[in-house]
Amino acid sequence: MDVISHFRQESRTYAALGFVAICVIVLPVVIDSIWVKVLTSAVIFTLAAYGISLLYSQLGLVNLSQVALIGVGGWIMLRLNYAVQLPFELNLLVSAVITAFIGMILALPAMRMKGLYLALITLMVAGGFQIIFSAIQFPNGGAGFLGVALQSPGEMRRPLIAESDTAYLRYSIIVVVLGVMLAAAHNRGRPGRAWAMIRKSEANAMAAGVNVTLYKLWCFTLSGFLAGVSGGLLAGALKILDAKSFPAGESILLFALSIVGGVGHWMGAVIAGFLYRVVPAIFNNIGIDADLSLVIFGAALLHAIMTAPNGIAGQLSSLFQSLGRQNK
Amino acid sequence: MIRISDLSVHFGGVVALDNITVDIKDDIVGVIGPNGAGKTTLVNVLSGFVLPDSGTVDVEGVDLLSLAPHKRARWGLARSFQKVQTADNLTVADNIWVSLDTSASPGMKKHAALNRVLDYVGLADMADVPAHKLNPCQRRMTELARCLVASPRIVLLDEPGGGLSEMEVDKLRQVIGNIKTIFGAQVLLIDHDVELIKSVCSKTMVLDFGELIAFGPTETVLQDENVKAAYLGTEIKV
Ligand SMILES: Nc1ncnc2c1ncn2[C@@H]1O[C@H](COP(=O)(O)OP(=O)(O)OP(=O)(O)O)[C@@H](O)[C@H]1O
Ligand SMILES: [Mg+2]
Repeated sequence: MDVISHFRQESRTYAALGFVAICVIVLPVVIDSIWVKVLTSAVIFTLAAYGISLLYSQLGLVNLSQVALIGVGGWIMLRLNYAVQLPFELNLLVSAVITAFIGMILALPAMRMKGLYLALITLMVAGGFQIIFSAIQFPNGGAGFLGVALQSPGEMRRPLIAESDTAYLRYSIIVVVLGVMLAAAHNRGRPGRAWAMIRKSEANAMAAGVNVTLYKLWCFTLSGFLAGVSGGLLAGALKILDAKSFPAGESILLFALSIVGGVGHWMGAVIAGFLYRVVPAIFNNIGIDADLSLVIFGAALLHAIMTAPNGIAGQLSSLFQSLGRQNK
Repeated sequence: MIRISDLSVHFGGVVALDNITVDIKDDIVGVIGPNGAGKTTLVNVLSGFVLPDSGTVDVEGVDLLSLAPHKRARWGLARSFQKVQTADNLTVADNIWVSLDTSASPGMKKHAALNRVLDYVGLADMADVPAHKLNPCQRRMTELARCLVASPRIVLLDEPGGGLSEMEVDKLRQVIGNIKTIFGAQVLLIDHDVELIKSVCSKTMVLDFGELIAFGPTETVLQDENVKAAYLGTEIKV
């Protein structure tokens, strides 16, 4: 690497570190309690958005089931919380691993598909989870495997070092940064090289000895892992989860915002999380209907698609058109 | 030795390969033929991207057709594509690393192998350059390096000289001509550039409409009446 690009790399790293430091140290102090909650969930959704971004930027794969997988992670986290007396971190890890596994299984039939067809399959998966969630609800400490009671008899525990909302915001930021670093390490290493080659040409990747199916699954699994961590963190943040919070439409929205935010860079995911959670809250706060944010997101998406550098734009816009018609 | 027996491939009504039987023993063997003769199809069958309707391919006792494409690559079959396929957002070194990643030798040897192959194709000082900044010849060389880096047994090159200038083809000639001596791999070279074939291939096979119409020492094959007839109207410079 020459000196200049090395310097650029370093300054980028410092910029990222600076950004994180501001978030961890300054933000929780200067904002009041409502905004701490809003920001916490923005941070949490950032990680899930990064999973979407990973699949899309590395392999060009559209994942419209990420919010559903967040729900899965959250469900497992709550389930574990009431079933076992293990530390928060361990439950979080187990939730993420199981979610990753479920994400992988769901990706299996989609392996041979691309573009619009894959997107539609993932959307069907999201729709499936929407139905499952409303049927089984989220555990709140009740009896039995589903653990649902009319009134919550228990409480979702938080990590010992992060009981308060402010501390939990800091905690979430750190976990999300670790998650993003995990994915970034993949990008820089062997999987990233294989993904880049697959994206260029599956045939060429195979000819170079890359197990294309395995690496595609790996990317889905990693993305599912990040969704699982998000879900677990969300369970800790909100303490109860509502089945109505994870409809298929939210997955589409988060995907769209990830595109708007910009795929392939952590900042894009941060923007996506911010747009997804903070913008509607701001609108609420100043007395504008939060649904108006959808109009703005739509315009932003249109802009992103029209100026998108890679040619999936046409595909996506027709996808969203057909989805729009379905929702009517 | 690559032993091909009774190999046939059909695409609908098109006979892309018609009962090909041939033993390929020489270090560098040329494959020529007019457009649509079946040359790429042959490479695709050998590398696993096209399943033949019938026939077998045996290399040193290994039934090649039974392996998945990526397994063939790991076994030691490397190929390049007619259209150059470097991943633009990866550096030259990372493009080559993709092949090293899938091979079994330990890390230290891999770095040595990388440097050696970069030297060999003349890209030693471009290791960290992203592939989108390369010219067509450098892309070709990156691809060749990727093919050679993981100690292949067989290298299949599909028109590597396509679109290169005369000077660049000279360089290519050296790179291809020394593969056997330096890397020990057997080479199958497809090209329309008969001069290139003549200068590096001891033997050459000629395909026409999927049929193997000639196979033998390159000079002899190029004088063959059938071969001349197949090329009638096209620009073979014999
Ligand atoms: N995937 C495919 N589906 C249908 N037909 C095909 C396919 N691949 C090749 N063919 C046909 O098979 C025949 C042989 O094609 P092939 O690409 O092997 O020729 P080639 O000798 O490599 O030609 P060129 O010199 O133009 O590269 C052609 O008629 C081609 O149209
Ligand atoms: Mg061809």
